[in-house]
Amino acid sequence: MAPSRGPQVLARTLHQTLSNHRGPVHVVRYAKGSAKYVLSGGQDRTVRLWNPDLGTQIKTFEAHGYEVLSISVSHDNTKFASSGGDRSVFVWDVTAGVTTRRLAGHMSKVNAVELNADATVLASGSYDATVRLWDLRAPARAPIQVLDEARDAVQTLHVDTTTIITGSVDGYVRTYDLRKGELRSDFIGQPVTSVAPSSDGTTLLVSTIDSHVRLFDMSSGKLLNDFTGHNHTSYRCRACFGHEEATVIFGDEDGRVWAWDLVDAAVLQPNPPPKVHDKVITWTEHHPVDAGEMITASADGTVKVWRHPS
Amino acid sequence: MSTARLKRKLGDLGIDTSSRKANENFCLIGTPLPPLEKSKDTGEFVPLWKQEVRDEKGRRRLHGAFTGGFSAGYFNSVGSKEGWTPSTFVSSRSDRAKSRAARPEDFMDEEDLTERRDDLKLVDEHEQMDLLGGTQSEMSRRGDGADIEKDAITLTLEQSLLPAPKDSAGARILKKMGWRIGQGIGPRITWRQREMAFGRDPDTASDDVDEEAKKHMYAPRDKPLIIVERKDNFHGLGYDPGLGLHASLGVAPEASKQPTGPRLAGACSRGFGLGALNDADDDDVDVYDHTQTHGRNRHAYDASDIRDEEHVSMSSRTRDARSLGKSAQPQRPSAVQITFRDGKSPLAGFVISDKPVAEDMSFPIPEVPQGWTPNPTRVWEKEKAGSNDKENEAILPSQPQAHAQWKAGISADQRGAALGETPLPSAPRSIFDYISKKDQDRIKNVTSSRFAPASASDTPSPGPSTPLPPTMTRTEPHVAQAALRGFQPFTTDPAKQARYTAYLQAHAEPGSVAVPLAQKPGQTPEDLAKEMSDYAKAAALFRPISGAMAGRFTSASVLDLGPKIIEGLHTPAAQPEETESSMDVDEEKPKEEVKEEDPKVHAARLGTYGVMTREVCLWQPARLLCKRFGVKDPNPEVPVDTTGPSTSTAAPEATGSAPVDEVGGASAATMQVEGGSSGSGKRDLGNIGLGEEDGQGDDVLTYERPGMDIFKAIFASDDEESDEEQDRIDGADDVDESPAISVPEKPSESVTEVKPAPPANGVVEDVDLATFKPTFIPRMSKTKDTEKKDKKSKKQKGSKGGTLVSFDVDEDGGESLSLTAARHKHRDRDNERPKKKKRKEREGDKGEDMWVEKPPPDIVKVLSVNLPPDEGGGLHVGEHENGPSRTRKRAIDFM
Repeated sequence: MAPSRGPQVLARTLHQTLSNHRGPVHVVRYAKGSAKYVLSGGQDRTVRLWNPDLGTQIKTFEAHGYEVLSISVSHDNTKFASSGGDRSVFVWDVTAGVTTRRLAGHMSKVNAVELNADATVLASGSYDATVRLWDLRAPARAPIQVLDEARDAVQTLHVDTTTIITGSVDGYVRTYDLRKGELRSDFIGQPVTSVAPSSDGTTLLVSTIDSHVRLFDMSSGKLLNDFTGHNHTSYRCRACFGHEEATVIFGDEDGRVWAWDLVDAAVLQPNPPPKVHDKVITWTEHHPVDAGEMITASADGTVKVWRHPS
Repeated sequence: MSTARLKRKLGDLGIDTSSRKANENFCLIGTPLPPLEKSKDTGEFVPLWKQEVRDEKGRRRLHGAFTGGFSAGYFNSVGSKEGWTPSTFVSSRSDRAKSRAARPEDFMDEEDLTERRDDLKLVDEHEQMDLLGGTQSEMSRRGDGADIEKDAITLTLEQSLLPAPKDSAGARILKKMGWRIGQGIGPRITWRQREMAFGRDPDTASDDVDEEAKKHMYAPRDKPLIIVERKDNFHGLGYDPGLGLHASLGVAPEASKQPTGPRLAGACSRGFGLGALNDADDDDVDVYDHTQTHGRNRHAYDASDIRDEEHVSMSSRTRDARSLGKSAQPQRPSAVQITFRDGKSPLAGFVISDKPVAEDMSFPIPEVPQGWTPNPTRVWEKEKAGSNDKENEAILPSQPQAHAQWKAGISADQRGAALGETPLPSAPRSIFDYISKKDQDRIKNVTSSRFAPASASDTPSPGPSTPLPPTMTRTEPHVAQAALRGFQPFTTDPAKQARYTAYLQAHAEPGSVAVPLAQKPGQTPEDLAKEMSDYAKAAALFRPISGAMAGRFTSASVLDLGPKIIEGLHTPAAQPEETESSMDVDEEKPKEEVKEEDPKVHAARLGTYGVMTREVCLWQPARLLCKRFGVKDPNPEVPVDTTGPSTSTAAPEATGSAPVDEVGGASAATMQVEGGSSGSGKRDLGNIGLGEEDGQGDDVLTYERPGMDIFKAIFASDDEESDEEQDRIDGADDVDESPAISVPEKPSESVTEVKPAPPANGVVEDVDLATFKPTFIPRMSKTKDTEKKDKKSKKQKGSKGGTLVSFDVDEDGGESLSLTAARHKHRDRDNERPKKKKRKEREGDKGEDMWVEKPPPDIVKVLSVNLPPDEGGGLHVGEHENGPSRTRKRAIDFM
């Protein structure tokens, strides 16, 4: 676990509002590397590429026939995967703006999609309670493996170098450890909407729809911290770590962005935070390198870029 | 044509025909020639082969074989380049009401339509001319069945009297020529002729006719058109639906006296409908029963025959035609009776009818007794009383039976009932009747436990029965139970149903004491007994499909169970009990569920996540997945897929597969021991700290170089290898130790850790070498074990012999790789030295007899004795023994 460096001020000054989406925005992700760009996907069936610094839209990726629920950018930013209501996962070429692969196999909408570290494997979690692992190297279109342990819709996924972590509505966080060849199922008790392991892979941030964000020890499954105060009862919202994993950030259903100190679980000021979105915040993501930037996507149709006042 | 020629000429002369000069017009009078440039002279002569035929729209209709091609079909008939365009699908879902059957017009192109239009005109004219309604439309207008019943006279009258709906052209012409409706066509005839034509004797009938009538000429008698009726029904030939048994009975006595004709007809008709499909029982029943008894010999066109007979006067031609058609059939029978009774022979081509002239059936009016007054009430009473008889009467032949009805037939039971037979004692039986009591009970237990809860839901709560003495156990308990669950037959009569249920409940529990049903007030014991037997029968009948079969069916609908019956009336004690028990059941279930989920949910609720909420199970990632993630396969003992095997993964495989294959029937116990030890080792590894890693790393290094045997064990077929070796050994010292032969050379490699292993089973958990040993033990006697060890080393050497050169190279590579720790390396060297020695020796052996080499094992043994001390304790060795754990350790280490 990263050492706490005392309460950090969350970037709360609105820098840009990206509002080209019509209808709710379901997901917004930073690009990899220095993360100069942002990809957002929404109910309007498009994936849009933005420059969050200037607030301009660079490109629109249109191929989905249904809402876009999840995006994952590859390590080299050359391609990304998106999924949504149309039961298949699209792998896009960023520059060409066309899909290079359409991975069909899920029985219902695909809630989460994640590429592995070198974009050779794609994991997709679906409402059909399965996670399918697709090989992006070989031309074969059948999944490498189907993880069907979940008893209910898979809402969130995380893939790192050796593990695949899934969060499901059945209240379980399942950690598939490839090296050990074992599956660790942690019963949380409430539908899980997001999982976010810390970068060292020892702790796991899990948000559930009982208005709790919990921090677990991944090796033992023990509860390390419990972050509360926010309102999270029915939507897929996302908890993430702040900069240097000193804080925990959560955009809740009231449109407020909550921040807690990781260690003492105290809500950072202001408490309660101001309402910055009209509707539920569907995605919260902190900039991977820049300490003072954060993006939120909301059902009110906007993506907001937050920065420190400079 | 002239312009063309002119143009050509001018062209030959080199004059531009389009120039103004050439087109200058000098004509002052008359019609000038058309200007040269637009010489579209339609009247111009074109040679035949240049002429084109075009239709009214200017389309070319005729194409030569070489000029038409595709466009011929395209332009002429198809109408589009793509060929016939199928009409696109239009959903009729929204306007289903509007949808109608496809008409022929929908499939016609314009030509067809015009043709059809013309046709329609013609058809109209035809219809006008259709005087007697021969067309289909006329037929349908007349209605189907109505006319059949009409007798011939009314029909003819109708036909002749009713005016044609509209005069056709022919009719109009005829009318102009003096014809009137109802008259015949032809020259006028005298009164006398007319009388004769009508079949009357002109001389006799003269008195009531006035003289004036004879002076006139009359139109000839109208002749009815011969209308061949369509056969729209499915009756057999000669079947007259209007003629039932009733009609036939009237003539029956006469018919029976007619031996030849009718009999034959009967035989003929018997031929109909008596095929293989008919029941054998029905053999004695004739399909066309009435024809047997009926006096008339009827055949195909009987009905029209009758009609014709009424037309007393017929033109000779038609009659000829008729009789010709008719004579064909009865030819044979008539051969006997050639002459009339009075000796006259019939006309040529005629036969004498063998049936009497049909008599009208007329019955004398019953004589009304004196002083009789109508009293309808009496009749009604009689009807009421004899309603049962009525039913029987319904079967009487006086009612003509519809064909379908007849076909359905009467069952054997019905016939038996009609004949007054005693019904066979075949009560509906269930399979339970054939099962022994014991089996019945067992099945009952099974079914009740499995199916009762499901089926109980749609029955009115059978519940436990009242404890009462089993006085009348005519119903088996299981039958009663089943019947309780099954169809409730008396739902219409709640009281009876209640009694029935009570009866069933009384019999449902075999051991319990059941109260017999109390007599109803005013019920005699006999009635009660009868009621009981009724209930018993009903219970036997109405029970659900029992046992295993029930699981295969689902009822399509919930049975109507009628009014809810409160059993409490009869068994007041049972009521509260029942509810309690059901309540208990209801409450217990959720409780149990809660209990089941309890630890986890409870822990989650309390936030005590950890051991309670975590489940760890094995998961096998796909090999490709591991490859893509750059992770070693965690469970490499999954066989065969060692395409890129690290040596360490291969080693456990050898332990796993080779011995098992060779030994074949190795005792399961030892196998399990192996498996168990490896499993526990795994767990140990998970908990082991890094401190113990040195030894393991060592171990790994030693495993870096697997013997060729292992590769052979993996890649070569085991049989060959073992056979070879076996041969060798057998040749050497006729000891049958075939299983031991195949042991990979691993023991010699891992010699470093090998303590001098105890020869017996105890070895199992101690040493690497030992892990191989136990698999052979079951077959060997203990005495052989020591011997075996020696031989084993021999064998190893033998197997290694051939591949030594390549192996050396490998070894070097392996060494260079394994330079992690100086100490290890050193030890490795130590390890290798003996091996090399061995190898040398083996090389030596190769040339010589293989069996001279006793010493090497000694060396090995010495080494093995020497080395263990610096290897550490038994725990360490224990860890070594399991391959897979080693693998994982390595993977982790090098990540």
